[in-house]
Amino acid sequence: MLKDEVRTRSYMNAIVQNKHLFKDKVVLDVGCGTAILSMFAVKAGAKHVIGVDMSTIIFKAREIVEVNGMSDKITLIQGKMEEIDMPFPKVDIIISEWMGYFLLYESMLDTVLYARDKYLAKDGLIFPDKATIFVAGIEDGDYKEEKIGFWDNVYGFNYSPLKLTALSEPLVDTVDMKAVVTDPAPVLTLDLYKCTTADLAFSCPFDLTARRDDYIHALVAWFDIEFTACHKPIRFSTGPHTKYTHWKQTVFYLKDMLTVQQGEKIECSLHNRPNEKNKRDLDIKIQYRLETQDSTRQAEGTCLYKMC
Amino acid sequence: MAAAPSKRDEARSSSGSSTTSSVSDEAEWLDADQDGDDDDDQEALAVISLVDDRVFPDATSMLAYCRDEHGLDFVGVRDRLALDFYGAVKLINFIRQRVHEGIAVSGADITAADLDDDRYLKPVLDDDALILCLDDLPEPAGATAAAAAATPQDDGVDGLLQKNAELQAQLEQLAKQFSSYRLAVQQTLDQRWEDAPAGAGAEGKGKGEDAAKPADEDAGVVAKDESEYYFESYAHNDIHEVMLKDAVRTDAYRDFIYQNKHLFAGKVVLDIGCGTGILSMFCARAGAKQVIAVDKSEIIDKARENIYSNGLGDVITTLKGRIEEVVLPVASVDIIVSEWMGYCLLYEAMLPSVIWARDRYLAADGLLVPSHASIWMAPVADAAYVADNIGFWRDVYGFDMAPMQRGIFADARPDVLPAAAVCDAGDAARRAFRVLDLHTTTVADLVFATPWHATLNAATAAADVDGFLVWFDMFFAQSRHVPPDMIGPATTALDWVADPAKRDAGLVAFTTGPFGTPTHWRQGLLLLDDKNKKKLAKVDAAQKHIGGVIEYVTPDGHARGVNIKVSFGPDGKDDKQDQTWLLH
Repeated sequence: MLKDEVRTRSYMNAIVQNKHLFKDKVVLDVGCGTAILSMFAVKAGAKHVIGVDMSTIIFKAREIVEVNGMSDKITLIQGKMEEIDMPFPKVDIIISEWMGYFLLYESMLDTVLYARDKYLAKDGLIFPDKATIFVAGIEDGDYKEEKIGFWDNVYGFNYSPLKLTALSEPLVDTVDMKAVVTDPAPVLTLDLYKCTTADLAFSCPFDLTARRDDYIHALVAWFDIEFTACHKPIRFSTGPHTKYTHWKQTVFYLKDMLTVQQGEKIECSLHNRPNEKNKRDLDIKIQYRLETQDSTRQAEGTCLYKMC
Repeated sequence: MAAAPSKRDEARSSSGSSTTSSVSDEAEWLDADQDGDDDDDQEALAVISLVDDRVFPDATSMLAYCRDEHGLDFVGVRDRLALDFYGAVKLINFIRQRVHEGIAVSGADITAADLDDDRYLKPVLDDDALILCLDDLPEPAGATAAAAAATPQDDGVDGLLQKNAELQAQLEQLAKQFSSYRLAVQQTLDQRWEDAPAGAGAEGKGKGEDAAKPADEDAGVVAKDESEYYFESYAHNDIHEVMLKDAVRTDAYRDFIYQNKHLFAGKVVLDIGCGTGILSMFCARAGAKQVIAVDKSEIIDKARENIYSNGLGDVITTLKGRIEEVVLPVASVDIIVSEWMGYCLLYEAMLPSVIWARDRYLAADGLLVPSHASIWMAPVADAAYVADNIGFWRDVYGFDMAPMQRGIFADARPDVLPAAAVCDAGDAARRAFRVLDLHTTTVADLVFATPWHATLNAATAAADVDGFLVWFDMFFAQSRHVPPDMIGPATTALDWVADPAKRDAGLVAFTTGPFGTPTHWRQGLLLLDDKNKKKLAKVDAAQKHIGGVIEYVTPDGHARGVNIKVSFGPDGKDDKQDQTWLLH
């Protein structure tokens, strides 16, 4: 993850280039990992940083902080945010890299929101503070054949039971910009100062407008992240139009293939909610409907997915 | 979890059972539905009846009502007219329109021509819940039947005759599948009955054999936890996709089985760790009389479906459980086929199960597929790899993360290295440090210490060596009695592949090493830590012969892991260093 240049550099710029915000502040790093963000905050002039992580990586993080001569500035605590004893009653800034695939899968956002409600001082800052999920339609015939069609003929055998599973599992992979057929549509925007865990279950209708005549085999989703508190706002995207990140994109294959003409609209809706039995899994439902004058191209459907 | 039945499957099976019960009381419907849907998180639906304005909580009960009370069998009409999704939508709207206009609808009278008009694509009811859950309805009996029926007007008598023959063949196929399914259910039930008395222990999984060795109980508990995780890890699609798409692996099994059909014809075959059932199906297609496919992972449920949908259910019997625990329907087998290999060959420790089954079930002259394995090691030097993976941590965005480096040298890293990284003098001088004849190998043979040697190439001094690379070759011989010169420490899989005589004879082999196509096993990279690299740097640059001892050890508390210990230094001298790498 540290080798994900887009991710790490964006955090570095957001923190280190905003010394006026960090100077003499108390900072909380939620899910600190190797403590790289904590060390950025010290470089930006923070008075003290508390890094919290459940994983045993924290023991390595302590050594790393020591090697870099920052032990007196950074306190690293192993445990759950909800259970630890915080050395400061309030913090001025929360920094966290909490995002998962499709923004929300196995994300730590609930922990960040807990920390915000319990520890963030009034008028405190959150880095990053805005996240948006986008969706677009893609032409993906070759790859759909490789991932889904594969199960129709495995060394001469019919593997359809595994095809059903493959269709219901969103695929985390990179999508070429050339494959994108429609304009993107935002389906969720989170303001981290205001949102609650209830916002993680959402339903959003949206339209996708075709930019050219083509087929649509799947919808692709990605997210953008913004640090709006910065002097010069910093943002990065995990979309197909920009540099690779370890989040890649998330592809939802449709059962049918749509044939669209430039300018036509596909009416869609996306419903997402954490699975009731296993909160870490996401249940996602996508509905789509293509209305055209040409009845042979009319299409409509509902697809259910599970990210697990 | 990927192994959980999809919602669509659930819908299909529940509709299957509810259609058999005729129901007159609406309250009963509601009760039944509440019970059935308690654990389902579908939002409440309001499905309006096709014939009147009664509202039902799901499409299945509504359609059953229309059929049983009003003689309108929607699914029946859909299947009779072989309607696709859009056709079914039209059918719904056609019926609703007629009912709306007060015209009585009889299912038997509806023809394809009635549905010709595209205006029936437009919903008569807003948000018609029936349309929304069309996909959840049971599918027609067979896609081919639907396809054949899709163009009835084009068919003459010949077409109809052909269709009839197709349908008959399909019926036979289904009957066959059903009978083998019934057999499987019977076997499963029998097995459960047998389990019940012995299974006083937790989860009813206890077996006679477990009870017979209480001394191992503590060790058993620890090993079991790790194994539970191990079997679970094979329950998901992804891992099987990776394995099936590893063409080096799957092609080798296929080629051997299909090119040696005479070995399989009429034989009883045992497939250990069958996964999705691919090897069992190869064997069945090759003419095996009976194949018994065993796997402890949930994936076996999918294997069973795969086997039925390929019409091989009468040849292949699936058994869920550990090979040591399931009760085979036969006393002995002629062939054992298994894909048991792990990283550095022995990680995962599945081979002991194959050996156990060999000793218990394989006929005296029976065959193991594959038959032989050899494990290789060579010194490697790859400065770019080391810089990218090790040096990286010394300057991460301006911070020193040296502590992150430490574990790197403690673990064997599964990775693919280029052939150019191998810095020994080449093929001719290289020897496998272990050759296993799988027909005779014992579990004790899998824990060993054996000498190794390497000659460095002209461009490499001992100081350049970054570590060692471990890989394995697999061989598929046609008999347990192979000539001694056919497989030895100097024989590589690529030698076999390059030999046209062997290829034509149906002998198959593959390598996971750096000189072949990369496989999902990659190679095992053993990187020297700084201390050991410095020690090697002191070896005279003219000293080209290095060597020592390599050991495979089962680590405490990780029954499925392997510790690899290598000692190394100039050949012929006692001055050896050693390092141990873990594969957990």
